[in-house]
Amino acid sequence: MTRSTIEITTTRDDHRVARLAALAIMLHLIEAILPSPLPGVKPGTANIVTLYVLYRFDFATAAWVSLLRVVAGSLLLGNFLSPAFVLSLTGALCSLLILRAAMALPRARFGAITLSVLAAFAHIAGQLLVVRLWLIPHAGVAFLIPVFAAAALFFGTINGLITARLLRENVGNA
Amino acid sequence: MRLKTFERLLHRPPGFLLLLFLLPLLASCGREPVYESQSYVFGTLVDITIYGESEERARELSGHVLQQFQRLHEQLHAWQSGSKLDNLNQAFAAGKSTSVSPELAGMLADATRLSEQSGGLFNPAIGHLIQVWGFQSDEFKPVEPDPEEVEKWVAANPQMRDIVIVDGYAQSRNPAVRLDFGGYAKGWALDYAARYLHEQRVAGALVNIGGNIIAIGTRGDRPWRVGIQHPRGAGAIASVDLPDGWAIGTSGDYQRYFERDGRRYCHIIDPRTGQPAQGAQAVSILVPAGARAGTLSDTASKPIFIDHEHWREEAREMGMEHVMFIDAHGTIHLTAAMRQRLKFTDEHTPLDVVP
Amino acid sequence: MSFPKPLAGDWLVLIIATVIVAALFATLWHNEQAGKVRIRAGDAVFATLSLAQKRILDVPGPLGISRVEIDQGRVRVASDPGRHQYCVKQGWLTRVGEVAMCLPNQVSVELLGEGKAYDSLNY
Repeated sequence: MTRSTIEITTTRDDHRVARLAALAIMLHLIEAILPSPLPGVKPGTANIVTLYVLYRFDFATAAWVSLLRVVAGSLLLGNFLSPAFVLSLTGALCSLLILRAAMALPRARFGAITLSVLAAFAHIAGQLLVVRLWLIPHAGVAFLIPVFAAAALFFGTINGLITARLLRENVGNA
Repeated sequence: MRLKTFERLLHRPPGFLLLLFLLPLLASCGREPVYESQSYVFGTLVDITIYGESEERARELSGHVLQQFQRLHEQLHAWQSGSKLDNLNQAFAAGKSTSVSPELAGMLADATRLSEQSGGLFNPAIGHLIQVWGFQSDEFKPVEPDPEEVEKWVAANPQMRDIVIVDGYAQSRNPAVRLDFGGYAKGWALDYAARYLHEQRVAGALVNIGGNIIAIGTRGDRPWRVGIQHPRGAGAIASVDLPDGWAIGTSGDYQRYFERDGRRYCHIIDPRTGQPAQGAQAVSILVPAGARAGTLSDTASKPIFIDHEHWREEAREMGMEHVMFIDAHGTIHLTAAMRQRLKFTDEHTPLDVVP
Repeated sequence: MSFPKPLAGDWLVLIIATVIVAALFATLWHNEQAGKVRIRAGDAVFATLSLAQKRILDVPGPLGISRVEIDQGRVRVASDPGRHQYCVKQGWLTRVGEVAMCLPNQVSVELLGEGKAYDSLNY
């Protein structure tokens, strides 16, 4: 009996993670399709899902959802292994790295906003590095950095607030 | 998971966050009262910067200065037939006497003094040699002068002191004298401009004729600052603050030159050999305020450039304390007084400072 | 619509991030402003342009066309009808205050900017 109960619980978690991953992919696709005033500047709403999973489950699950989103999203968009995919993957990996590190911060003082802003900055930093080193190897990218950084701060804060609110409204309801 | 909440939040972000976007809008800058005009006179670029005057007045002032420059240029043109200088040269060659304006007589007397002071290394009477080397042209070509002809003009020994002026009439005792004020007129024009702008009580002005610069007043609350061109690089090798009335001039092998068989021939001719001076990249001098600061900035670097092996002695001979000499290898030699005033672009530039 | 209040640490992160963004604007956009080139033909200004572009301009002078090339933060005279090609030989200009002059053709190229170290150039 005990074993089967555990199995059911696990399955429900799996379902939840799958649903959240699907939501993340959906957000990813919407952002990819919607036009952006500045190429490369996107709200990054899919990160809300990553953060939510990180809080409700654990880092491994969050990493899984994030990477699944990047790979599945690119397969659906048909840009798997293209520069857009590499940028997406770099951003996701950098975000995950900094999230892993930021988990060491005391929870009582640093909330979802901190994690969201840090992830957004890591995301854009990683992507700009790839752009500079690989895609556009000349100095012209430099003056875009402040714009991207401002966007990262702006959307990082919004996404963090949304995540915090979702966490409050869905207490105990993953 | 309440997707509706999610979507609502996504579409209505809190307004106060938009303020974050306004933060970078901090910069604003006031415009300084600087007027700048550029023109081509003396076959080179003339750059006049005026500070602290209304645009209208600044335009008037620089317009007047440019007009005078144009007049001087037409009078002193060394190879345009019909110029005052050309008429004078024709008369000298024919051994005839011709009338000269008090202004031109003053220039001749002044240039003669400077030539004597330099032991003949500054010599505006060697127009024939300059012509033989093809530098009396806006678009000179690489030439290979006939050595005999060069020898002939060196042996003829044209000197400024051969010119005699009596009662407004000038004559040359040596028909080989052919004046070329290429290394004098710009400096004289600088002094003219400085005198005029001082009389007009301009708060600040900087006049640059083909690289020779004189400062008038200040640029607001700071002195005028001038960059010194690197003789082989694209930018400035150093910068220097020019106090009111000071002038700066450089003789370089990079301004007018041609290359033949991998060798560089510059426009500064050594009157002793009749050959273009070799072995120096540049000589820059800083001349303290005085009635002839501009003239000296143009002329006094030439003897130092030509006889660069004795650059320090030549500098003393010409009364120059602030001198920088860059030799053929690019090594920088300079006087201690010059070192004090220069700010090198690369602070680690190796320097040979001489007292 | 209410959001959970940011925690003390969140505020700290937001403040630091804002300072970083402001600093990035101050440094990188400042340089961007400095990156301008003024091209003159004769007594007139031919054009004043941003350096942050790739562009080739043909500037007419008394001898013919001087071709000026702007390439993402630098500029050069690519060709000039003058015989001696001093301005072409100077190569790329990158620093504020640097000047290339094509004398017989009366075309000059100067890098403008806030950080200009001097008012005029002695040469």
